[in-house]
Amino acid sequence: MTATTNTSDRPAALEVEGVRFQYPGAEGFGLEMGSLVLAAGEQVLLTGGSGTGKSTLLQIVAGLLDPQSGRVCVAGRDVHAMPGPARDRFRGSQIGMIFQTFNLLQGFSALENVMAALMFSTLPRAEYDARARGLLGSLGIARVTSRVENLSVGQQQRVAVARAVACRPALVLADEPTASLDPENARAAIELIQQTCRENGAALLCTSHDPSMRERFARVQALAAPGSGVLAGAGEGGAA
Amino acid sequence: MNDWTIIRRSLSSRVLSTWLTSLSVGVAVALMLVLLMMRDSGRRAFERGSGNMHLLISAESDPLSSVLNSIFYAGAPRRAVAWTKFEQLPRLAPFEFLIPIQTGDSFQGLPVLGSTPEFFSKFKPDPEQGWRLREGRFFEREFELVVGARAAAATGLAIGDRVPLTHGMPRRRGEENLPAPHVHDEFKFEVVGILEPTGSAHDRAIFTDINGSWIIHARDLREAAEIEAAKKRGEVHVHDHEAEDAITPADLRPDEKPVTAIYARVASRPGSDASAAIPATFSRLRADPSIQVAQPAQEISRLFAIVGNVDQILLALAVVVFLSSGVSILLSMYNSMDQRRRQVAVLRVLGATRGRIFRLVLGESLILGLIGAVFGLLMALVGTHVVALEMRARLGLVLEPALTPTLGALVLGGAIVLAGVAGLIPAVAAYRTSVARNLRPLG
Repeated sequence: MTATTNTSDRPAALEVEGVRFQYPGAEGFGLEMGSLVLAAGEQVLLTGGSGTGKSTLLQIVAGLLDPQSGRVCVAGRDVHAMPGPARDRFRGSQIGMIFQTFNLLQGFSALENVMAALMFSTLPRAEYDARARGLLGSLGIARVTSRVENLSVGQQQRVAVARAVACRPALVLADEPTASLDPENARAAIELIQQTCRENGAALLCTSHDPSMRERFARVQALAAPGSGVLAGAGEGGAA
Repeated sequence: MNDWTIIRRSLSSRVLSTWLTSLSVGVAVALMLVLLMMRDSGRRAFERGSGNMHLLISAESDPLSSVLNSIFYAGAPRRAVAWTKFEQLPRLAPFEFLIPIQTGDSFQGLPVLGSTPEFFSKFKPDPEQGWRLREGRFFEREFELVVGARAAAATGLAIGDRVPLTHGMPRRRGEENLPAPHVHDEFKFEVVGILEPTGSAHDRAIFTDINGSWIIHARDLREAAEIEAAKKRGEVHVHDHEAEDAITPADLRPDEKPVTAIYARVASRPGSDASAAIPATFSRLRADPSIQVAQPAQEISRLFAIVGNVDQILLALAVVVFLSSGVSILLSMYNSMDQRRRQVAVLRVLGATRGRIFRLVLGESLILGLIGAVFGLLMALVGTHVVALEMRARLGLVLEPALTPTLGALVLGGAIVLAGVAGLIPAVAAYRTSVARNLRPLG
């Protein structure tokens, strides 16, 4: 939760190389990503209109989808080279995810939602409680035992953020985290996500179709639909 | 926060379904346990009662009803063995005892059995255990009563009470054509002994010297004959009990000494087993068409063969209920699949492996089975207790339904295995749940 130390000795949080993905059966829909590298702790905005495969790319990075070709390394490890269970455990310990709809566990308390992430991490069990309470406290959630569905939308988002960084991941993937918020709340939300990632030493790959988000990121990566002539990856850093 | 929390939350998120499902497992488990527990204890209870008798001799039309009427007091025998026949029996075969009994009278609806003092000295209701008195003594002469333990509890009879008996049993459905029971107020019987429980149907009976029963009936018969004779003479018969001479046992004519059944034990040479002599005696007695002879143990086995069919049907039914409760586990788990898919996807994102998800869902199913099994166990214990109380109150049969560890483990294990099998399909479905597809924004 404190500011990160020197990150230069850590492997790149993310390296994507020549990834091609095509949904089976879905004609024409897919994505290509030439090259994308995030250094440890680096924050990158991934832009692109709807249908360009931003969410799909995040799921590929998380190891939830297998690309037809290419390579994805998170924290120095080839995600898709790992067999299923190892990949799941790796995700549990190295990757946090934030969704537009939060995807909190309904019926569970705020504390339990964060603890659930810790259950599958490599942190020692004895630290779960302190870690979860500490994170929620620092994000301003006082009623940690309230069921998440009883919390305000803003608080639910904070729980989702706390859950994403709970396992001390190398990389946080945020999929349109501000899409359902008004501009003011969207700004606050992205600030919270960025700051929390920074404090927890996690790199951040955030998708958004909102152009106003660009100014908040030092680096913006555009993703274009495959076959559009623009090979994604070529414009790295271009819009910053 | 651990796997158990996740299972618990999942179960409590559909409380009604969880309880109903466990209840259906519980009912199945209880049904099965009650049947299994009752079957054994019912057989044991029926095996008591005939005790150390080998043969039951009567004039009834079939051996099973003779056993039910004369040992279990199911009803009043319709026909009696003549006294002259009874006196001939020892000549047919060597007997260790031949005890005449007469049933058909009652006191407050409880059966009265008339017999000789040998009924207490030689016959044992339980081969291992003879009669024991809680109070008083056994009867020694006519008009004395010894009260069975449950009969004493039911009637409140105590030593020294003097009560009249009722000739005839309360009529049951279909017996409206039998003579109405009537109370013999003119004969008072004195309670001289109260028995300890024997665990047999005899506990709800009242015992008296057979001479007393005969005297009452002789009086009835003689009175009826007088009225008939008076009618023939055209006189009005004025009945005056006081003026009549009391009938004594010695006055009784052989035709006034009906015996509804005879408890018989075949004599055995010292050191040899009587069981060899029973069939021979049995077939010798069978040759006499005027009497019915039954081997109580065999009749009870035959009864249980009949009842056994019924309880096999019931058991089959219980198995069907049991299996359908498995289906209800499956449905309950499967119906929650839509709600579960999203949760599974989220857990997978958080790092849960497919195997862990599989175990979580299977675990949930097992918990449903376990809750159901515990329900069922409790219901079975209460249920058998209630049935046992009822059987004791109505039939005097002491059922001691025992939940043996083997039986308990078998049924519990069965419920858990069933739940495990029922949980396999939902668990596989959860295992195969696509994370990417179920993370789509659902609102």
